[in-house]
Amino acid sequence: MSEVETPKRPSILKSKDVRMTAILWVIFTAIIGFVASTVQVRAMGAPASETMATTIKMMRVFTWAASPVAGLVAAMAATTLLAKRHYGDTPPEDADHEIRSSAKASSTWLVVSAILCLFAVIWGMIVLQNDNAALLNAKAMNVNVTGQQWVWNFDYVDNGGARSQDLYLPVDRPVVFHVTSKDVLHSFWIVQMGIKIDANPGYVTETSVTPNKIGIYDLRCAELCGLYHAYMQKKVHVVSQADYDTWIQSQGGKA
Amino acid sequence: MNKRFFAALGTVILGAAVIAGIGTYVASAKNDSRVLAATPAGTMVTPQGTLPHYTLDMSSYPDSMAGSHGKDGGVHPDWVTYGDYTNFKVPAHSVITITIKQYDSGARITNDFFATVHGTIDGTATLNGKSITTVDPQAVGHTFTLHGLADANSQLFVSVPLPSLPDSAVPDSGYSKTPNVVTFSFITGGAGEYVWNCEYPCGDGTTARFGGPMSTQGYMSGNFTVANA
Amino acid sequence: MTTLTNRPASAPGSSAPKKALMERLNVFTAFGLGIIMAVVFWYAAKALLPANTDGSFIKTNRDQWVLLSMIGWFIGFMTGIGALIGPFRWLLGKDLNHDENMFYAGKDQGVKRYFRYTTDHKVVGIQYLVVTTVIFFVGGVLAMLIRTNLGHPGGGWLQPQTYNAIVGTHGIIMIVGTIIMITGPFGNFIMPIMIGARDMAFPRLNALSFWLIVAALPPILSSFFLGGIPTGWSAYNPLADQAPPGMDGYIMFICIFAISTMVAGANITTTVVKMRAKGMTWNRTPIFIYGTVASVALALPAFPVFFLSQVMSALDRATGSTFYDTRGGGSGWLYENLFWIMGHPEVYVILIPAVAALMEMAPVFTRRPLFSFNLAIMGIAGISGLSVLVWAHHMYMTGWAPLLAGPFMLTTELISIPTGMLFLVLIGTLWRGRLWMTMPTASIYALLWNFMIGGITGIYLSDVPADAFLHGSMYVTAHFHYTLMGAGLTGAIASLVFWFPKMTGRMFDKTLSWVAFWLIQIGFNVAFMGMFMVGLAGQPRRVEAYAHMYSQGNMITTAGAYVIMAGMLVLLHGMITSWRSGVMAPMNPWFGKTLEWTVPNPVPLENFEVLPIVTEDAYGYGRKQS
Repeated sequence: MSEVETPKRPSILKSKDVRMTAILWVIFTAIIGFVASTVQVRAMGAPASETMATTIKMMRVFTWAASPVAGLVAAMAATTLLAKRHYGDTPPEDADHEIRSSAKASSTWLVVSAILCLFAVIWGMIVLQNDNAALLNAKAMNVNVTGQQWVWNFDYVDNGGARSQDLYLPVDRPVVFHVTSKDVLHSFWIVQMGIKIDANPGYVTETSVTPNKIGIYDLRCAELCGLYHAYMQKKVHVVSQADYDTWIQSQGGKA
Repeated sequence: MNKRFFAALGTVILGAAVIAGIGTYVASAKNDSRVLAATPAGTMVTPQGTLPHYTLDMSSYPDSMAGSHGKDGGVHPDWVTYGDYTNFKVPAHSVITITIKQYDSGARITNDFFATVHGTIDGTATLNGKSITTVDPQAVGHTFTLHGLADANSQLFVSVPLPSLPDSAVPDSGYSKTPNVVTFSFITGGAGEYVWNCEYPCGDGTTARFGGPMSTQGYMSGNFTVANA
Repeated sequence: MTTLTNRPASAPGSSAPKKALMERLNVFTAFGLGIIMAVVFWYAAKALLPANTDGSFIKTNRDQWVLLSMIGWFIGFMTGIGALIGPFRWLLGKDLNHDENMFYAGKDQGVKRYFRYTTDHKVVGIQYLVVTTVIFFVGGVLAMLIRTNLGHPGGGWLQPQTYNAIVGTHGIIMIVGTIIMITGPFGNFIMPIMIGARDMAFPRLNALSFWLIVAALPPILSSFFLGGIPTGWSAYNPLADQAPPGMDGYIMFICIFAISTMVAGANITTTVVKMRAKGMTWNRTPIFIYGTVASVALALPAFPVFFLSQVMSALDRATGSTFYDTRGGGSGWLYENLFWIMGHPEVYVILIPAVAALMEMAPVFTRRPLFSFNLAIMGIAGISGLSVLVWAHHMYMTGWAPLLAGPFMLTTELISIPTGMLFLVLIGTLWRGRLWMTMPTASIYALLWNFMIGGITGIYLSDVPADAFLHGSMYVTAHFHYTLMGAGLTGAIASLVFWFPKMTGRMFDKTLSWVAFWLIQIGFNVAFMGMFMVGLAGQPRRVEAYAHMYSQGNMITTAGAYVIMAGMLVLLHGMITSWRSGVMAPMNPWFGKTLEWTVPNPVPLENFEVLPIVTEDAYGYGRKQS
């Protein structure tokens, strides 16, 4: 065969800056992924429902999925900073090349970002489907929530309509909240259960959750509703079914 | 170099001073910074055991001439107001008994929820000596409603309606000799910062009538601190 | 001083050289006439409008008087500044002659031209720069009040009403400030020179767009004295319906600002489309121009919707209509949709010029061509196009249209793709460049850092189930500060230092620019990282007080805010001292290749002696490989 071959281009990894970037990429991805996911997950605290546990998982997964991108940008940026930097009032010489584009780089970037985007969408759609299905659970207990400036009150419709300003829920039982407002917009947010739905005057909106841990959690209004929005908050008590029955009877309801 | 550094530092300090000045001015526009501490009154037996007992007295007036806003009622003599104090401090883990003398007329309360007694020891209050759990929503003067943050400690929510005096009983000047006297008791949990306000909005300037005195501390709202002894 | 003696013979008045009306009008007559008209309309409204009957609180008289009075202010101010002279003369068939137009352009007027209805785009650019600085100063003071109040958990330093009013006013003032911060000063001063034109397509509209902003400011500032705005910058009804008359100040502010934005949008778009220099094909048009046009072109459909949403709010408040009140058949969801149809494109209106400006600076400071000009355009176009399809991601939690959650999640996630393209352009331009380290260069890196954080946190928020946790918490506040301030404001400050030599003839003091840069960036990251943490832990937004568990995060944020304050004051100091006594700047201090660096300092009235002919794009850096 002919011995004339076009000389192979040197491997891209032969250049110093590419090697540096590759190394930094791995390091930064690991740091960013680990720190960003751990710190955020830690800040969210212990979940009190499957819904919240899924949200925490999502934060972790999305962070790790995004960290190679962030890591690459950081690595390339760091590599450029590590090269000789010119200070002063006159510019350095022009760069050694006139490269204006790279079809390979652009298309790779596009394809990868599209894949990541699709991944996020599909994940979100699946979780959303599950959350929507939970709203249709016929076995769930129903609680009507009314927000008004600046206090929440609850009607336990499945327990004879007992009304209270305290929210007690039996553990491991799905509950659907039917939320409305008497005046302006409020937002019904049980923090540790990861659910939220606005309270709109003139409409009833719904959200549902299954609390899976006994404890005391926080209900905080999440939509500015006037003067004492900051104080429109309440403790939510998740108790055993027996304790719930005792409590609801003390409120004039039926177990 | 030195001169430039000090010049820049000077701007920073001057800027900070301007901002501090604005802040002090804005923050000081409180109408009443005095705080009334609850008066000790022995102990009381409650469903939660025997607890120290404290009392607070206040009144709700149809205007601001009562004196705590200054001579001639201050800047807004025609505004309804609570008095004599509007900021209160009570101890934690105690029973607080509040007595309110209600001198004002009233009308139909906007939100019926607040025509009912909430959060008191047995869900009742005393009106002129009689025990009540709700008042006629058509004849409410004011309410006393406590709001708090969902903080680590237990959280209070107390709301008591204060019925109105009939229009004929409110004199043109001075106050009625027979106000409605409402008394109620509740148990404080752990320490926390609360606000209280009147939940029957009747101030003008806005369609929901939360303007005017309703949204001004020192008139129809104030601070309520539960402090560790 | 020039007196116009070349008036048409049929002009009213004597033939002796008398000062023409247009010579007498300036910002002082504008304020004077505005105040007079405000007072006149107030008393007329009080006298002519029927009194409220006692029980009817569906609407209040006060709102009617306040709105009418502010309309009076607006008419008085715009008349007093001379905005009507041009159209009025045109109506009379005696359009302005050349001398009058030159007077309008500020010829031979010295510093007075900055206080008048001057049409020279360079004057308008400087005017925008000054007013933007004032807006940021006011917004910044309000921010410091907010963070001081939030420095300790129990609240109580500011009264709740005052606090809410400050939060809302801070928000809307900063939004307006960030919208105009690049297209105002640099879109006006630099852009026409950069495309090789002598002025903008509609010089009088240029002056109009600026003076409308000035006219809009007293209404929003007066809101503090009218009870404040209790709603946050988004002014949701029904809370806005309930609000004191300060809300009317917000409504007027937005209505006037919307007109200004639409006028500026028409002007900038027409200028760029029709007045580029000979030879400047779209392929040779600098990327900053694309960014500016995209920003204002996005504003053109968005702001009329905002305008109308506020008009309906005003009608609900003042006449008892019920557009947004379910008790009358209306809906608060109508407001939310109208608001966010504007609100989402608007954040890209803010962001795109900042990224485009940094993309314009990147080749200059790496001495190599912009990486993938076409990708940059696709990115800008993609973001602009998609941004009108994503608005309801702000409404996931409203319960309005649960079936639409999925589609909006899709469109919102899709925007990350063109956004990523812009990242690639920037990082690709930095790659294998010869780095010239200046404060604008450092700003590019700061943008990459801040925008990465802002962008990724945005991805979490776009996920509907995650939003069920994050919406309405401080996490959202931190996210949008990272994008609008960490990315947007960083680009604006870099633009200031970069184009300062051309706009003022002096170099921005180097040391001060670096000190400001580091203080602002470090303070910013400390402040808003702390905010992410308390948001994740469950602190809602727009709260005057918070539970004790959030103390630590809030103290960190407040400390960071104070550092930002120091940095901004250093920046302000640098701006003023450099302007007055900075090092004189050469014509092209950055050795850039865009057309603005080919005109001398100070820039002559008509920019170019001879209009340039463009034969190549502005990215011809780099050496051919042998």
